[in-house]
Amino acid sequence: MRGNAGRENAFSRLHPAVLMTFFLSELLLTVFLPHPVLQAEALVGGLLFCLLLWGGEFLRELGFYLPLFVLVALTNPLFSHNGVTPLFFLNGNPVTWEALLYGIFLAVSVTGVLFWCKAYSRVMTSDKFLYLFGKVAPRLSLVLSVALRFLPAYLAQSKRVERAQKGVGLYAGESFTDRIKNRLRVFVAMVSWSTENAMEVSASMKGRGYGKKGRTNFSLFKFTSADGVFLALILSLTALTLCGAAAGMKNFAFYPRVSRVELSPVSFAACLSFGLQSLLPALWEGKERILWKYYVSKI
Amino acid sequence: MEILRVENLSFRYPGAPREALRKIDLAVGAGEFILLCGPSGCGKTTLLRLLKKELSPVGEKSGEIFFEGMEQKTLSEPGDIGFVRQDPESQIVTDKVWHELAFGLENMGLPQGVIRRRVGETASFFGLQGLFRQRTDTLSGGQKQLLNLASVLVMQPKLLLLDEPTGQLDPIAASEFLSTLQKLNRELGLTVLLAEHCLEEVFPMADRVLVLEDGALLAEGEPREIGPALSEIRRDHPMLRALPSAVRIQLSLGGEGVCPLTVREGRDFLERNFPDAREEEDKEKDEGKPTPSEDGEVAAEMKNVFFRYERDGEDVLRGLSLSVKSGEILCLLGGNGAGKSTALNLFAGLERAYRGKVLVGGKPVSSYRGGSLYRGNLALLPQNPQTVFVASTVRGDLAEMLQTMNFTKEEEKKRLEEISRSMGIDRLLDRHPYDLSGGEMQKCALAKALLSEPKLLLLDEPTKGLDAFAKEELRALLVSLKEKGMTAVLVTHDAAFAAEVADRCAFLFDGEILSVDSPRNFFSENSFYTTAANRMARGILRRAVTCEQVISGCRRAVEKRGKSERFSDNGGFAPQETEEREASKAYGGEGGSE
Repeated sequence: MRGNAGRENAFSRLHPAVLMTFFLSELLLTVFLPHPVLQAEALVGGLLFCLLLWGGEFLRELGFYLPLFVLVALTNPLFSHNGVTPLFFLNGNPVTWEALLYGIFLAVSVTGVLFWCKAYSRVMTSDKFLYLFGKVAPRLSLVLSVALRFLPAYLAQSKRVERAQKGVGLYAGESFTDRIKNRLRVFVAMVSWSTENAMEVSASMKGRGYGKKGRTNFSLFKFTSADGVFLALILSLTALTLCGAAAGMKNFAFYPRVSRVELSPVSFAACLSFGLQSLLPALWEGKERILWKYYVSKI
Repeated sequence: MEILRVENLSFRYPGAPREALRKIDLAVGAGEFILLCGPSGCGKTTLLRLLKKELSPVGEKSGEIFFEGMEQKTLSEPGDIGFVRQDPESQIVTDKVWHELAFGLENMGLPQGVIRRRVGETASFFGLQGLFRQRTDTLSGGQKQLLNLASVLVMQPKLLLLDEPTGQLDPIAASEFLSTLQKLNRELGLTVLLAEHCLEEVFPMADRVLVLEDGALLAEGEPREIGPALSEIRRDHPMLRALPSAVRIQLSLGGEGVCPLTVREGRDFLERNFPDAREEEDKEKDEGKPTPSEDGEVAAEMKNVFFRYERDGEDVLRGLSLSVKSGEILCLLGGNGAGKSTALNLFAGLERAYRGKVLVGGKPVSSYRGGSLYRGNLALLPQNPQTVFVASTVRGDLAEMLQTMNFTKEEEKKRLEEISRSMGIDRLLDRHPYDLSGGEMQKCALAKALLSEPKLLLLDEPTKGLDAFAKEELRALLVSLKEKGMTAVLVTHDAAFAAEVADRCAFLFDGEILSVDSPRNFFSENSFYTTAANRMARGILRRAVTCEQVISGCRRAVEKRGKSERFSDNGGFAPQETEEREASKAYGGEGGSE
C-alpha cells in the first residue's frame, strides 16, 4: 500500500459538489447526533476510508490516535461524577459507569470526526474548493488562483535575493544583527519586486483580454452519471438518518442513566442508513480497486 | 494579404528628451516571419507594445497603426494579437497549467465545452499533456515560456508579437522554443513578429529582418541582404557584431557572393574560397592565450567533492575536482542540471559538500567565520542580477554596501566615484535598478560585488539576456579586471563567449569534470559542444574557435596566396582591400533609414 500518497484515489475523482455534500452531511450528522451507534459507525467508516487512502502510513499514525482515544475516554470519568452506578471511589469521589461510557462515547466521536477531517483535507484539495466557491463568487476564485500562483513565486524570489545578498557580501555574517538586517533588506526589496511583478502580471492579463464583460469560469470537473447516482444515494441516506433523529434518536442521554438503544423500525433504518453512508467512501474505493485489478488483468 | 500596416509612427515617453520611435513605416503580410533586431534601447519593445492596443505605453504618439485594414482604436478582440515577453516567470497568471491555458478563453466568455476542446487541442500541440494538471511553479524556465506561448495561441491570434522570448532560456530550451515558433509559422501560417538579440539561430528562419537603431528603421530586407546592407552603411557597424557567425565571417572576408546564414552555408563558403587555409594552420602556434600550466598559485580548489540537495536525493556532484589558478578566467560549461551553478554555490559557501574539500585561498570554505569569506575574498553574482539590488536606486545599493565596510564618509564617496567610473555606470547611479536594461543591470551588479574587493569573482550565467554589445562590454570588463589580478569563474552556456574570454574551459557532466583545457583545445576537440564558428571552419581550420580566429586564419591563407600568385593573375579570391563589393550594390538602395 505504500506510495499511495501521490496517486489520486477513486473517491477523489467524484465531482466536488458531490464530495462536499458527502463531507458536510457526514460531519454534521456525526457532530449533532449524539447517538452511540451512529458515532461508532462514523468512526469505523472513517477508519476504513483513511486506511484505504494512506495504507500503512496511516497504521503508524494510529500510534497517535490510540493514546488520544484512551486519554479522552478516561478523562471524563475522572472529572465528571454524574451518573447513578458508581464503580469505585477515587479520593472520595465516585467513578461512575455512566461517566465512563460517556467518556468512551466522546472518544469515539472525537476520533471519528478527526478521521473524517483528515480524509476531507486529502480529498477536497484547494482547486475543488475554489471551483465550488467560484460558482458563488467568480472573482474570488480567480483572485485565489492568482494568489496561489504568486505565493510560491514570492518565496522563491525572496530566497534568491537573500542568497544574492550573501553572495556579494552584504550582511553576510552569522551575527544576530546581520541576520535581522538581511531579512529586513530582503523584505524591502521584495516589496518593490512585488509591485513590479504585479504590473507584469496585469499586463499579461490585459494582453489576454481580461476585463471584458461576460467572463466564464472553466474547470476540469465534469458531472457524470456516477456522480448523479452517488449524490442521490447520499441525499436519501441522509434523509433517512434525519428521520431517525426526528423520531427521538437525538434524545439519547448518558446521565443520570444511560438510555436504551431503541430498536424501533425507524431508528433501526436510521442506524442502517448512516452506517451505509459512513462506509460509502471505503466501499466505493474498494469497488474501484477491485475493478482496477480486473482491468489490469486484461491489459 | 497585408495584416498589419504602420504609417509614420513616432512615439515619445512622457518627460523623455528624445523620441523613442521616429517615423516608422512598416507593412506586414499575412503569414510572414519577421525578425526585429537592434541594440538594447533601440525601441524594439516600444514598437511591439504599441502594436498591441492593450499594452500600449503612455506617451505622445503620432502616426497610424492598421490591423487587418482597421484602425487600432476600433479593434475589440484582444485575442487577435498575441504577445509573449522575455521573462517566463511574470507572465503566468494562475497556479495550474490547465487554468493558465484556459485563462484567455475564460476572458473571451466562451462556454465550457469550447474551452475544454481548445485547451486540450493546444496542450497536445505544444506537448504539454504531461504537465496539464501540474502547478505552474513546478515547471522549468523553458516549459514556462512554452506555456506562455501556448496560452496566447489558444486564443487563436492572427498575429504573434514576441519580445526577446528566449532571452532567459538556456540554449536547448531556446532552440526548442524557436523551432516551435517556426512550426507555427510554417504549418499554421501564423504571422510572427519577433524581437531578438541572439541571432545565430533565428536569423535564417526569418522571411524579413528589420534593424532598428535609435528608434528609427536602419535597414530592412531578407536575411541575406542585411549583412551587406549594414556594412554598406558603415564598414564596422556595431550591429554587425550581433549577426550570425557565418554572416560576420563572410563580410569580414570581403563579402564575396551570396551571404551565407547557417553553419552549413558558412562551411560551403569557406571551403569554396579558402581551401588552402588548411596547410597554414599546421604551422600556426597557439598565440595569445598561454597554455594552462599545472603550477601557478591556486585561488580556489575542490577536491573529490560530493553534494546532494536532499538526504534521499540524487548526487548532483560526484567526486568533482577542480582547481582555479590565480589570475585566470575559468569557464564552466555543461548541460542543464550538470551541477555548474551548484559548484559555484559551494565555492561561495551557500551550500555545503557532504564529502570532499572546498578550499578558497588555501583554507576550507567552512573555516571562514562571520562573513569573512565575503570580505576581500570572493563574491558571487547570481543568474538574475535583479536579485542583487535591494535599494531604490543603484547609488543607494552601492552606498549601503560601502556603509557596512567601516570607511570614513570621504573614503566612501571616493570609492563610489571610483567604481562607477571604472565600470562606466556614472549616468545610471540615480536610476531604479529594475528600470535598467540587462547589460546595464549586470554592470551595476558587478560594481556592487566589486566593492567588497574580492580576489575571486564567481559569475553565474553573466551573458544571459545580454545583447552583443553588452556581451562585448562585459568581456572587456572581465579582461581588465583580470589584468588587475582578479580571478574569475564563469558558469555559462554561451560557447562563443567562453571561447573569447576564457583562459581555460572546463566541461562538467554528471557531477564531475570531464575535461579542462584552453578554449582552443577545448572547443576544437568537441564536436557538438562548440562554437558556431568552429563548426563552420572545422573542415579547414580545425583549431579556430572564434570568428576572429577563422577570419585571421583565412586572411593568412590569402596573404600567402598573394605572395605566390602576385604575378600569375588567375582570379580566385582577391583580398578585400582591392575589392569593391559588388554584391552589396543590389541592396544598397533599401539600406538607409527614411
